[in-house]
Amino acid sequence: MPRFTVAGQHFAGQLASGALIIACLALFPLVASSYQLSTLIISMVFLLPALGLNLILGYAGMLSLAQMGFFGVGGYTSALLAMHFGTPFWLNFSAACLVPALLAIPLAIPALRLRHTSFVMCTIAFVFILESVSKNWVGLTRGDMGLSSVPRPRIGLWSGGFIVHTTVQYYYLGLLLCVLAVAALVTIVRSPAGRYMIAIREDEVLAASIGGRTWHYRLAAFVLSAAFAGAGGSYYVHYVTVISPSVFDPTYTNTVLVVVLGGGVGTIMGPILGGVVFIALSEVLRIAPELRMVVYGLILTTSVFLFPKGIVEPLTAVLRGAIPSRARGSHGR
Amino acid sequence: MVVEPRTALSLRGVRKAFGPIVAVAGVDLDIVAGEICGLIGPNGSGKSTLFDCCTGLLRPTAGRVLAGATDITGWEMARIARQERLLRSFQKAVVFRALTAEDNLVLAGQMTAFPGLAATFGCGQNTRRRVRELRDRAGVLLERVGLAHMRHAKAGEMSFGQQKLLQFASMLMPEPRTILLDEPFAGINPVLIERIVENIRAVNREQGVTFVIVEHNIDVLRDLSHRLVVLSRGSILADGDPDAVIRDPLVVEAYLAG
Repeated sequence: MPRFTVAGQHFAGQLASGALIIACLALFPLVASSYQLSTLIISMVFLLPALGLNLILGYAGMLSLAQMGFFGVGGYTSALLAMHFGTPFWLNFSAACLVPALLAIPLAIPALRLRHTSFVMCTIAFVFILESVSKNWVGLTRGDMGLSSVPRPRIGLWSGGFIVHTTVQYYYLGLLLCVLAVAALVTIVRSPAGRYMIAIREDEVLAASIGGRTWHYRLAAFVLSAAFAGAGGSYYVHYVTVISPSVFDPTYTNTVLVVVLGGGVGTIMGPILGGVVFIALSEVLRIAPELRMVVYGLILTTSVFLFPKGIVEPLTAVLRGAIPSRARGSHGR
Repeated sequence: MVVEPRTALSLRGVRKAFGPIVAVAGVDLDIVAGEICGLIGPNGSGKSTLFDCCTGLLRPTAGRVLAGATDITGWEMARIARQERLLRSFQKAVVFRALTAEDNLVLAGQMTAFPGLAATFGCGQNTRRRVRELRDRAGVLLERVGLAHMRHAKAGEMSFGQQKLLQFASMLMPEPRTILLDEPFAGINPVLIERIVENIRAVNREQGVTFVIVEHNIDVLRDLSHRLVVLSRGSILADGDPDAVIRDPLVVEAYLAG
């Protein structure tokens, strides 16, 4: 006989709302303009590294500013494979996840010895190094000129297949990647390993005292966050079809931070909402170019004051109001 | 035939110095498996440092620590907990505040349910079944310590005493062999003290779990402990039957009177 736990009921509710959101997003191209879809594509580009930052910061409690470094590595990997070997998108994308993840391992060995602000500093330093490598390894990256004419994503098993080129096609590809990435994140954070990561965020010594291999889980969070960032880099580079060392610019890192912190760190919905709202907002404000960043800054400040835990906070409150307390677990199974 | 009592924890010349300050000055101590041993001493006598050295939070400057026959000196805290089932609590009520009471217990139980690292990343049927079993066990333990009604409450929203109970229940999740409790009764009301005492007795009696308890509440400790050890300035001052130790003039002078 199936047994329904409180956590299970809660998860079923979350799955149902997730399915509803995906359905709405899948139908969105029927009513949206190409410009609106492009904006959402940019949101999705940033959502992928944001999910990685959410994992390492929101669940494992470490602020890594290396996300856009790994994003760049993923982008370059994907672009170079496609340009030199004409490989299909799934292979470029997989390599773009794998290479930053592998690169994260040697970087993590010194970085994970550090805590708090020293760790943050170390991750900033990684981006400087990666930027410098991308500028100076001219034979591979063409230095400051960057790589242009990066092939568009080719959806096929090996040769042949079809090329993604319209905005709608890019939108659906992005939606698929984001759904997979969110599913991966949910799987990780709901696993016993995810529970250990949360434990480390809460109290590392206590986590170790109950047998948690803290170093291993911090490493896992760092490596997985790099893979998420690399995924974003791959999708990005095949969308804009160019990549240069400017990808390592702190502005992009700031955007990812806004998406995660402004959306709601340590929640699944937070960065998704943050990605859509804050990127769309930045686009909408293009109607007043001179005041754009001033207004954007003011809105961000106001949002932080109103919702310190991110804009997901009022949404959660509304949902909690809608779900009877029994289902939320005010008493046992 | 005389059967030698098995030791749960042995300290051989354990010394811990922080620069010129000697916190633990060469302690030799054998904790017999299945006993409840009280550890008392004035503030700064090295009790918590000794716990830290036993559980891997600190590495002793000199000496060896053995759990049963295994030399665990220099092992990491997590390894000691996992392999030797030697667990400890902390002076402050330390719980995972953002997690529910149930999840606090599930986390503590994961070391037995998922001994390997790779298994913790699983998400299949087997993982879900094991987590469900942990939740069931958590329910039983919460009932046992009288926190069943708080099962789905965030640990951070619980009172100080309830958090201490939760911390105690957490340590029972992974089938412990030895539990070191650092001031389990500090700052909580007599009703909750009685509840923890009853549980310590029951767990000791039914499961043979060894307890070492650092506590300033001498009255509770005298009733509860089979043996009392007094630490003063990093060395053992007295060791033996609780009533005899408390009457020891040296102990009275060094600790009880002061």
